[in-house]
Amino acid sequence: MLFWKKMFRDMLSNKGSYLACLVLVAIGLVVFMSFAIASDNLVISRDAFYREQNFAHGFIEVESMPLHRAEELSQVEGVEQVTPRVVEEVRVNKPESRESVYLQLVSVDPGEHRRVNDVKLLEGTKLKEGYWNTWIGDQFFEAHGLQTGEKVEVIIGGSSRELTVVGEAMSPEFTYPLRTEGEFVPNPEQFGIAFLPRDTMWDAFPEMQNRVNDVVFTLEAGHDFEEVRERLEPELEPYGLITVYPRGEQVSHFMLQEEIEALETMAAFLPVMVLAIAGLILSIVLKRLVEQQRGQIGIMKAFGYSNREVLLHYLSYPLVLAVFGGLPGGLAGMWSAGPLSELLFEFFHIPEVYVGFSPSYLALGMVLSLVVLVAGGYLGCRQVLKLKPAEAMRPPAPVSGGRNILEKCKFFAEMLTVQGKMAVRNLGRSRGRSAFMFFGVVVSCAMVAFTWHLVTEGIDRLMFYQYEEVEKYDIKMSFSEPTAREPVVREISRHGGITRLEPVAEVPVTFNYRWREDDVTLMGLPREGDLYHILDTEGRRIIPPEEGVVLSQRLADNLQVGVGSRIELDSPLLRQGREKVELEVVEVIPQYLGMNAYMSLQGVEEVLGQGEMATALFLSVREDKEPEPGMVSYLNDYYMESELVAGVDGGEDRIRQIKEFMEMAGEVIYLYVTIGIIFSFCIIYTSSFIILSERNRELASMRVLGMTSHEVLSVITFEQWFISFFAVIAGAPLAALINWAFAREFSTDMYTMPAEISVQSLFMGVLITVISIWSAQRFALKKVRELDLVEVLKTRE
Amino acid sequence: MVVSSELVVARNIKKRYQMGEVMVYALKGVDFTLYESELVVVLGASGSGKSTLVNIVGGMDRASEGELYFGSRKLHLAGEGDLTGYRRSEVGFIFQFYNLMPNLTAYENIYLSVQISRDPLDIDTLLEQVGLLERRDHFPSQLSGGEQQRVAIARALAKNPRLLLCDEPTGALDLPTGQQILKLLREFCDKYRKTVVIITHNTNISQMADRVVYLKDGLVEWTKENREPLPPEKVSW
Repeated sequence: MLFWKKMFRDMLSNKGSYLACLVLVAIGLVVFMSFAIASDNLVISRDAFYREQNFAHGFIEVESMPLHRAEELSQVEGVEQVTPRVVEEVRVNKPESRESVYLQLVSVDPGEHRRVNDVKLLEGTKLKEGYWNTWIGDQFFEAHGLQTGEKVEVIIGGSSRELTVVGEAMSPEFTYPLRTEGEFVPNPEQFGIAFLPRDTMWDAFPEMQNRVNDVVFTLEAGHDFEEVRERLEPELEPYGLITVYPRGEQVSHFMLQEEIEALETMAAFLPVMVLAIAGLILSIVLKRLVEQQRGQIGIMKAFGYSNREVLLHYLSYPLVLAVFGGLPGGLAGMWSAGPLSELLFEFFHIPEVYVGFSPSYLALGMVLSLVVLVAGGYLGCRQVLKLKPAEAMRPPAPVSGGRNILEKCKFFAEMLTVQGKMAVRNLGRSRGRSAFMFFGVVVSCAMVAFTWHLVTEGIDRLMFYQYEEVEKYDIKMSFSEPTAREPVVREISRHGGITRLEPVAEVPVTFNYRWREDDVTLMGLPREGDLYHILDTEGRRIIPPEEGVVLSQRLADNLQVGVGSRIELDSPLLRQGREKVELEVVEVIPQYLGMNAYMSLQGVEEVLGQGEMATALFLSVREDKEPEPGMVSYLNDYYMESELVAGVDGGEDRIRQIKEFMEMAGEVIYLYVTIGIIFSFCIIYTSSFIILSERNRELASMRVLGMTSHEVLSVITFEQWFISFFAVIAGAPLAALINWAFAREFSTDMYTMPAEISVQSLFMGVLITVISIWSAQRFALKKVRELDLVEVLKTRE
Repeated sequence: MVVSSELVVARNIKKRYQMGEVMVYALKGVDFTLYESELVVVLGASGSGKSTLVNIVGGMDRASEGELYFGSRKLHLAGEGDLTGYRRSEVGFIFQFYNLMPNLTAYENIYLSVQISRDPLDIDTLLEQVGLLERRDHFPSQLSGGEQQRVAIARALAKNPRLLLCDEPTGALDLPTGQQILKLLREFCDKYRKTVVIITHNTNISQMADRVVYLKDGLVEWTKENREPLPPEKVSW
């Protein structure tokens, strides 16, 4: 009981540093609990949803195949169940919308029970076979404020058709619906999913009568996707196989999985780092405490307290901090998991299952903080074990004096004031503490610079680079199939307001290099074009090559190729009879959204052997790049019933969506910047406190001599700035390394995080660290001013 | 004074230790005996080895060579745990600069030794004996030097040790206060029949001792009995 009183009173008399540890422990537990529980919420919700809706293990896209052949795929070894479907994208007639609105129609067999990728009806009635009724995907349903009974007009085969909305539905396949690979966030105002009875789809698309172009399947237990794919491909090739891919590559699942993994990584990594810093601070503080209480320790041992009892007394400090920091932090973390989970469920539309109170995570978090802090505390106070009672009663041996290596440089030594010399010599004497401060400032500076870069430039570059530097067009008009180039160019050119028009060919291809392959879109661009820029790492334009191909960096990394490598191209659009084509990689470029390959339009036509073609047109409508008000709507309306024109899109809605996304993401990232600032402050504050308590007597003597508080403080601040100068220099490369590692870890085929950190971000990291250091030193100044000179000089420690 | 049996016997005690960059030979072969119920003053100049000798006798330090007995216990062969037990049950210490716990009250400082003692004395009785009962809840910073030393004495006595070791107990005090402290120590020796050892460089204090041991350069130079020890209040310096 008595030792507990002593401990609390000791802590109160030096509350600043213990408070710093407490805050860090609480932060560590808040982060751990909120991220771990949010991740669990997502995982449990997702797994339950997948189970209930029989989510597919594999996905097949073909040009067209007979229904019965698709159903026979269930007999392929390793396939448990198949659900064949017709999937087509159509435009929605929405005159009030500036840009094209699309629905992906997915057929559903109302008579089939427990389909693969089954649809969960949230409200409404069953679909009637043969009727033009539909279930609309929940995100599109809400974004357009639909009600059951309403009609939605779609353009199918050039004709307008009305669909009656009979229900709102969701499916695990479309929790994160993206229309194209170049998108990053769902845009439910512009793109949604609609489920129709299969017979109705066949009515809408007569060429698909009794045929399907999409199959989803589940695997039997114990069977591997790759082995099943190898068995399926020969069955599918005669029907124009486009792709077979596993669940792991399905967009919605992929995005959800990425998010879960990011949460799990954060839940594991960040709390450990924060707790480690707290443990380190505590070890330094306890070390100092044991030095200060050397005499008291001697007394305790003289009176018969064993080493174990004395050590346990000092280990009670980390124990108390772990409990009083960890428990509130853990409870706060459990509470904040709710809002974080809500934020995530806003993004990923899956039925929500909340974990809520999690005693196991709380226990784990408490154990983690206990272990780390007690370990740190032990490191700090283990010298207690070595102190013999008699030795403890003696004053410690004076620290050896003398100049250190820095002063041996005459030029440097002559620049130093007396305070400077004191500071420089102390660096050498307290090497452990100097190292602690050095590494602490390095880590803080790197963390602040990295997170600053991420929030101000990294995500900016990821999102906006594509739409501001690369895609220079105002409008993209997409065609439902590859078409002859000249007629469409002539047709569109006649509209007023179009200042420039460029045809493009976007071709699905498979690239092979040795045993590696990747499915991507090859873009054929006009050599003299100006509406889509291919840029190298320096931002210089590259002319699309006639021969050879330009690859995005991510694609080159996936194939493990570089400039000069020769890769093979295959495509369903290769002229019949054509073998795979070999191409040389002539350039590798950065691409932050999507993953493409590029050639000249003529080069693509040559490779495919198809003659002049286009799959889309890029348009600019005014010199200053602002689309004329209503131009997108105008073209949309004009070609609404065209069989050839699949859609007309402007860029503004996309940019608006991204800005909204960034506002949400930015809040989370600013949190990390704040944590970095707290780190710096805690480390510098602790360091100042230690120096003050160690050198009370010296500093008081200097005050007695007549030096001002500022002059006295300069002994401490010189030492700290000296260390910090080198620490921030080391922090810059560490920030670059963290950014590079982050980019590597979190980049995917859909988006690539920029791997280079800007000078501006490094500067901000340094600036914010410097401000933290300066602020912490104000506290030290306050303590120097408050030094009771008589008391300090009178008493022994 | 009735001197009874031997309490502590030290034979050929040597001690050397490293202090910073220097090797110190504090004791060079000391033979020393303490008897029950006597008050001994160990005299010597600064650096003579008196504190070192008393630290070894008190189990706070180990001799580099030699033998040490407390009754029949062979302390020179005792492990760390045994020495801790020895200090816990048999020895009380008083120091020049009191060494009270600054964050504990007077009462709590004494309780510190009571809570590990098998047969402690009553704290309030001790506080009354040292004249500080009304200051029991005061912290060391609220007590004068003399008052702090009295608390330290009460703390050492509370364990009811057979041996009380005092290292310059009056070194930081003025004459009247110092006399008060010496009087307490004399009373403890006489009333409770305990052995008290006072280490000092102040030869005047040796006048109150039953026996005086003089150390010089790490060796016992001479030992003398006082047939008529001076009362503490008459000791002056």
